[in-house]
Amino acid sequence: MTLDTRIQLQDVSKSYRLGKSEISIFDSLNLDIPAGDFLAIMGPSGSGKSTILNLIGGIDRITSGQVTVGQLRIDNLSEAKLSRWRAQQVGFVFQFYNLLPMLTAAQNVELPLLLTAHSRRERMERVNTILDIVGLDTRGKHLPSELSGGQQQRVGIARAIAMDPQILLCDEPTGDLDRKSAEEILDILKILNTEMGKTIIMVTHDPSATTYARRTLHLDKGQFVRKELEHMA
Amino acid sequence: MSYGLLIGKNLTRKMLRSFLLILCVAIAFFIYSVLSSFQKSFEGAEATVERLVVTNKIGSNEALPISYWNKIRQVEGVESVTHISRLRAYYMNEFNVIGANAVDIPSFYEMFANTYSFDEHMVAAMTQKRNGALVGRTLAVKEGWQLGQKITLTSFRHFNQDGTQNWSFEIAGIFDGLEANVDTAFLITNYDYFNEALVRGKDVVSIYGVRPHDPQMIDSVAKRIDQVFANSGSETRSQSEVAFMKAFMNQFADVELIVRAIVSAAFITILMIVANTMIFAIRERLLEIGVLKVLGFSGFVIMLTIMAETLLIFALGALGGVGLTALLMPILSELLSSIVPGISLSAITVVQALGLAVIMSFLTGFLPAFKALRLPIATALKHS
Repeated sequence: MTLDTRIQLQDVSKSYRLGKSEISIFDSLNLDIPAGDFLAIMGPSGSGKSTILNLIGGIDRITSGQVTVGQLRIDNLSEAKLSRWRAQQVGFVFQFYNLLPMLTAAQNVELPLLLTAHSRRERMERVNTILDIVGLDTRGKHLPSELSGGQQQRVGIARAIAMDPQILLCDEPTGDLDRKSAEEILDILKILNTEMGKTIIMVTHDPSATTYARRTLHLDKGQFVRKELEHMA
Repeated sequence: MSYGLLIGKNLTRKMLRSFLLILCVAIAFFIYSVLSSFQKSFEGAEATVERLVVTNKIGSNEALPISYWNKIRQVEGVESVTHISRLRAYYMNEFNVIGANAVDIPSFYEMFANTYSFDEHMVAAMTQKRNGALVGRTLAVKEGWQLGQKITLTSFRHFNQDGTQNWSFEIAGIFDGLEANVDTAFLITNYDYFNEALVRGKDVVSIYGVRPHDPQMIDSVAKRIDQVFANSGSETRSQSEVAFMKAFMNQFADVELIVRAIVSAAFITILMIVANTMIFAIRERLLEIGVLKVLGFSGFVIMLTIMAETLLIFALGALGGVGLTALLMPILSELLSSIVPGISLSAITVVQALGLAVIMSFLTGFLPAFKALRLPIATALKHS
């Protein structure tokens, strides 16, 4: 069953101040992502793709408008509430994995679970299950530096789903990987979407990666310029 | 995995840097604990604010009449009084100066029973042997003196009835300090024996020791004593033992000021080194701080982990420094026995060192931790 994690951006504007000038990223952007969607967002560098992920994940603030996830408006939550909400509802997958280098794969996956009341044994069970899902059950004790790029990204995905969030935000998750590793990562994301009902929003430059998504949006200069439905069952 | 492990992993990610930091802190605390022990021993660890020392107002080298003894006992608020007269003597050669005092044994025993391990057998022995002497353990060990041994001291100032400056005593007891850092490098002998044998300068004492009924009233008792002898031939100056010892030692050097200056220089240097290193260490970790925030860790929790990391650095350093001091204290005690006999690392120095470690860790950790608290996630993630 998919929980109500419909994501809505309504008339969202985002601008940055750079010295005395104001740089607009979006102006009155609207986006509606139903629960359980697998959305790919493409576009040139600087078009605002990653900013959309940041706004949905509550790691950046909108200038105006409204961001709603399910029934909750997240744009006016305090930092502390946003942190708690993010820990429960959102998982992030980064292009360069961003694993903590001094922790093993298992410890990286366990990291977000420190925020829960689970016992150490419960946490370890969960970590083992998740590492099994991403195919790294034998690599838990390895440091990130001892893993290949593809394996590190799997650890990144495992960490992102450790808290069992409904939303996965992936910022160019295959951007640093070879073709084979990229396909393995995309396969995992596809399984998480189709079999576990996760809502996935993936920013990518790779057209072939979009074939794993249910639909793709093209962003340019802060506006969605072309919408296309993808060929995913 | 736990927060403790996370803090430990952060600390050990650059082992050499962390080791050098902890070493720096350890050296600073080693300097602190050695100098602090030196200062405490130099100023007399047995000194207390609960007892008064009454000296001649002109200076502690000037004598006071023995007749003051009864008068001080009658001052309101005084519980007991004893008197001490310095022999100013050496043993064997004039470079081997001995701390020797002629005292009234019963009142001295009563006054200092909670400082030295005197017992009634020693008092009885001294009563029986008029030329008896009770010797502190440090002095006895240093000179190799035994119980019952006869010793002859030569006074720089006091002539004996036989026309010499030699004073012979028989060791009637050896006492210890009730605490490790109490100075026992001196001996006491019977005042009556000493006074009767003096050619001149009879019936005077060097100082009086006074214990008030109520330690809280020590200042008012001091004032009353000084008022009694105001405008007399020998006016008095009454002050606490601690104040007396400080003033006495300051005649040679302001040890406290020297110690504070050295320790401050060491700690300010360490403060800057650790704060600077922590700021750089946190700057290297901006991306990770951003990732932790993305995962749902609040800025406050991240701030606490950074402060805990600096606390760990200072705790390990302080324990290392204090531990090294404790380890080397027997050697230091031996080396410094002629300057500060009985130097030791007191519990209060250890507690003060640990308290300083907590304060220093806060001072060095707060700024980088606060920066981490305020760091916007989007900004942190740009450091990838």
